Amino acid sequence: MLTRYMKLYYLFCKQNLKVMMEYRMDFLLGVLSVMLQQFAGIFFVKIVFDHIHQLNGWTFYEILFIYGIAATGRSIHHIFFDNLWTLGWQYIRPGKFDRLLIRPINPLFHFIADRLQQDGFGQLFIGIIVISTAMPHLDVSWGVLEFFILVIMIIASGFIFVAINLFFATLSFWMVDSLPIVWTIFNLSDFARYPLTIYHKGIRHLLTWIIPYGFTAFYPAAYFIEGSGFEKLALLTPIVAIVTCVVAYWFWNRGLRAFTSTGS
Amino acid sequence: MRKYIEFARVQMQVHAAYSAWFWANTFSVLLRMLVIYFFWKAVYSSRTEIEGMPFDSMITYIIIAMFLQMFVSGVGQELAHTIKDGNVAIELMRPYHLITRLIAMDMGDKIIHFIRGALPLGILAFVFMDIALPTTWQGGLLFLLSALMGIWIGTFFDLLIAILAFWTINLWGLEVMKEAVISFFSGALVPLILFPEWFQTVSLFLPFQAMVYVPVAIYTGILTGTEAWLALGSQIFWAVLLFVLLRILWSIAIKKVTIFGG
Repeated sequence: MLTRYMKLYYLFCKQNLKVMMEYRMDFLLGVLSVMLQQFAGIFFVKIVFDHIHQLNGWTFYEILFIYGIAATGRSIHHIFFDNLWTLGWQYIRPGKFDRLLIRPINPLFHFIADRLQQDGFGQLFIGIIVISTAMPHLDVSWGVLEFFILVIMIIASGFIFVAINLFFATLSFWMVDSLPIVWTIFNLSDFARYPLTIYHKGIRHLLTWIIPYGFTAFYPAAYFIEGSGFEKLALLTPIVAIVTCVVAYWFWNRGLRAFTSTGS
Repeated sequence: MRKYIEFARVQMQVHAAYSAWFWANTFSVLLRMLVIYFFWKAVYSSRTEIEGMPFDSMITYIIIAMFLQMFVSGVGQELAHTIKDGNVAIELMRPYHLITRLIAMDMGDKIIHFIRGALPLGILAFVFMDIALPTTWQGGLLFLLSALMGIWIGTFFDLLIAILAFWTINLWGLEVMKEAVISFFSGALVPLILFPEWFQTVSLFLPFQAMVYVPVAIYTGILTGTEAWLALGSQIFWAVLLFVLLRILWSIAIKKVTIFGG
């Protein structure tokens, strides 16, 4: 079954790539724009740090590291799961979603595999550059184990983004289009680009235990920052990723059932 | 003139109807204000001023700039859609100038956004964050004038980019790039006086600083007296130049439609 799905995903991808190559100019422009957008965010931090030495105890490279993990994690979501944004207005509203239900594959898989978002590659690229710029300036001796943990953390970060978006996109089954909600919640991830310690306690708890965007950047980064005080909490990151994904998938299945019973 | 006012009015009603997006927007702006506030609070935790700006004038600059930035884009997307789906051919036959109509609609949009969104949130910011009023009443008046010019420059620039949809297939990439460039060079993120020298010089020759930096710098008293008036003059220059460019590019683009249309 797993091999069948992998084969299917490969076929979906191939189709997607063909479309991308058809509009090569579009592809390049998209990637370049997203890179520029990411770069603007980094440049902002750089400008500010030209005038200060540390932000509430955090150095420039530590902030950069957090930013890089956020960008790379988000790029996983952006490249492979971007279709989540379109559930309401491109699938449910025009009646296109029913089509997915009659196919002999998991509708969530089909829905996600329907699109590969090329622009995310720009983000991935910038994210990796930022992380590798910051890495040598942290007090960490980078060995195989550290790299392995870093990769796990980034993948977990990506899946937390996916889970949160899936959860709120699922609301579309009841309200036709939940895009405004998805978008609002997604904006909360802006907080995650900076150390959570700069915020009010309420915000910190919200982003740790309720909508866990803190685990998409700050906590995983804090694992590698000596004396951050969050090394232990950081180890929860993969667990948070698994739990949020399970919860979101369970919610999706509930939504699906509600949808099929009203749609027929 | 009357018909364009009518367009603006209808647009205002359309907007008042979409309340889910309105609340989403309001809430997101509120969140962004919080992020900004805490970020700068942390920046100032170990110092009292940066480039001569104490915390309250910095936060005033950043928040006012953030609000203004929301108004410096326009209905470019609308125009791009009209071009992409081919409706532009029909629009051109209608008894109005499409560009003027779009600008009128955009004004309607912005008025309603100001009243429903920016004004209440602005008041909230004044009450709960350390935002100051303009240093002098002349400065305040000049700010209003300058902000209007900035908004126009942004609107014209937005439409100018949108016309490129006649030539490119997809505009999404260009739109993102435009947003990034504007937040970069317009001084929407930080006052341009914090930038490196060379960057300030480059941005002097670009229209972007006229969108956000000039009005907000007048508001916060970074630009005063003759400097402020000179900056306002440069804004007028950019507004006129961009408007003329817009008209020229538009007439070239339209010819392309008539050729395609046979």
